[in-house]
Amino acid sequence: MSPVLSEQALTQAEDASFSSRFAERFFSRSGISLKPAYYKLILAELPDVGFFEIHAENYLSKGGPARHYLPLIRQHYPMTIHGVGLSIGGEHPIDTQHLDRVARLVDEVEPEVFSEHLAWSSHDNAFLNDLLPVAYDEATLRRVCEHIDQIQARLKRHVLIENPSTYFEFNRSEMSEIAFLTEMSKRTGCGLLLDINNVEVSCFNHGQNPYHYMDAFPVRAVGQMHLAGHTTDSNLVVPLKIDSHDEPVSQDVWSLYQYTLALTGDCPTLIERDGNLPPMSILLEEANMANRIRESIPPLEIRREHVI
Amino acid sequence: MNTSFKTALLTEDTRFYNEIKAPNMQQQEVRLNVYRNNVVVSLIDALCDIFPVTETLVGDVFFRAMARIYLLENQPSSPIISEYGVNFSDFIRTFEPAENLPFLADVAALEHEMLTLTHSEEYKTLDHDAVSTAFSSVEDPSVLLLNVPPTTKILASPFAIGSLYQAHFSDGHQCLNKVDINKSEYLLLIKSHLYAQLHVIQKEEAIFIKNLMQQRSLEDAVPDSDLFDLGKTLAKLIEWKVLTQIK
Repeated sequence: MSPVLSEQALTQAEDASFSSRFAERFFSRSGISLKPAYYKLILAELPDVGFFEIHAENYLSKGGPARHYLPLIRQHYPMTIHGVGLSIGGEHPIDTQHLDRVARLVDEVEPEVFSEHLAWSSHDNAFLNDLLPVAYDEATLRRVCEHIDQIQARLKRHVLIENPSTYFEFNRSEMSEIAFLTEMSKRTGCGLLLDINNVEVSCFNHGQNPYHYMDAFPVRAVGQMHLAGHTTDSNLVVPLKIDSHDEPVSQDVWSLYQYTLALTGDCPTLIERDGNLPPMSILLEEANMANRIRESIPPLEIRREHVI
Repeated sequence: MNTSFKTALLTEDTRFYNEIKAPNMQQQEVRLNVYRNNVVVSLIDALCDIFPVTETLVGDVFFRAMARIYLLENQPSSPIISEYGVNFSDFIRTFEPAENLPFLADVAALEHEMLTLTHSEEYKTLDHDAVSTAFSSVEDPSVLLLNVPPTTKILASPFAIGSLYQAHFSDGHQCLNKVDINKSEYLLLIKSHLYAQLHVIQKEEAIFIKNLMQQRSLEDAVPDSDLFDLGKTLAKLIEWKVLTQIK
C-alpha cells in the first residue's frame, strides 16, 4: 500500500521546502534595506534580490502602510530584522515591553536573522535616537552579556550583534574592541554581524589599520555582513569618517569587503541604505556587485549554526 | 557614566570629556560633537517629518530652532520614533516667539493626531456596492445602524486648521495663504485603508457622525436642522470609504 500524504502533510512539506529555498536564497544572494518608497515597485516587479532587511522599530505599529506591505513582501522574499532600539549597551535593564513587541514581530516575520548593535540609545526613559558607544571593560561586558542572554531567551534564537562605528575611544577601556566582541560571543553564544563600513570608519577615526583589524576579527562567529556608505568630516582638529548610510558603498569598503571574505568564507551580505535614497535599481546594482565578489569565495559551513 | 554622557550630549557640560581618549580637550570636543550632532539633528529631522505643515508655516530655520529647544528638554520616551512629539503642541503654545501664530499649536496637535491615526489598527470598510446592498436589503432604511471605525475623531477648531492642512498637501503650498485662518471649523479624522483622512465638515454633519458613533439608528442620528442634507452626507461617507458596517 502506497502512503498517501494528507493535505495537511502536503502543505507542511511545501512550507518546509519554501522556507529552505528562502534560506538558500538568503545565503547565496545579497540583500538590500527595505524602504517605504520601494514597497509598490517591489510588489510590481519582484526584483531578483536575496533578501530584504527591516528595522524592527519601523514595524511595531498596529496599522498603516508599513504593517500592510510587510507580509505582502515577506511572501516573496526572505527577510532579516535589524533592531535599533533595544539599547543592549545601556546601563539600565532592557525595556521588556519593547522587547515583547520586537519578539512578536520576530514570531510573525520569522526572519533569517535578528540582529542588534553593540551600543546604547536609551537612558533614564530618554531614547536618544543614536547608537552610542560603550567602554570596553569587564563591567560593561558583563552587563552586555546579561542583556544578550535576556534577548536570546525571549526571542528563542541566537542573535547577531553588530560591531559599532565610533568617534572616540574610552580612557577606561581595558581591552580592544575585538577582544570585547570575541568574549561577548563566547559567553552568550551570539553571532556577530560584521559591518565592513563600521570597521573602515572606526579604524580611520582611531588611527588603526582596518586590514589588521580584520585579521584579528573572530571570523567564525560572523553570520552576516553589512556594506554601507560614509561621509568625511574634514575639520582641521581631527578629520573623522562619519557612518551616514546615505551614500553608495565606497571603494575602500569594497576592497576591505573582498579582503574580509577571503578570511571568513562566503557570507550573507546586505547593502544598507537609510538616507538620501536612490532609485531601488541602484541598490540592486550594489547587491549584484557584492554577488560578483562573493562568487569566487568558497562557503563556510560553520557559519550556518549562527543563523537559526 | 551614561548619565554624564547624556548630559554632555544635550548640554555644553564638559565633565564627561575626561572619559574620552584624546591628546587635548579640543579633540575630545570634536569627537563628542559627532554624537551631539547625530542626536540633535536626527531628532530635529524626526520632528520635521512628523510636523511638516507646522514647519512650512514658520519656515525651516524657525522650525529647526524651535525643535532644538524642545528636544533638549523633551527626548523621545520610546524607540519608536514616529510616536515622538506628543507634547510638542503644548510646548508651542507657551513658546513666546510663536505667539503671533495662535493657531500653530493646534496645527501641530492635528498633525500628531493624523500620524497616530495612520499607524493605528485597520478596519475593513464597505465599498459602494456593499452599502447599496445593505440599504436595499431592508424595507425601512431609517432603522439601520451605520458604523465608522472606533478610532474616528471629530474636532471643533476655532481656527481653519483643517483647510490649512489640506492646502499644504494639495498641489503647491501657495494656496496656504488663501485660507482664512480665523474661520472656525469642524474636522473629521477617520481611518480608511492604511491612512488617516481629514475632512472639513459642517456642524450638522459633525453632530450626525457623532450620533452614529453613539450607535443611534439612521433616523435618530439625523440632526434637527434644515441645513442637514442626509443624501449628500451619506454620499460623502460612501465616497470616503469610511463605513465599516451597516446593520
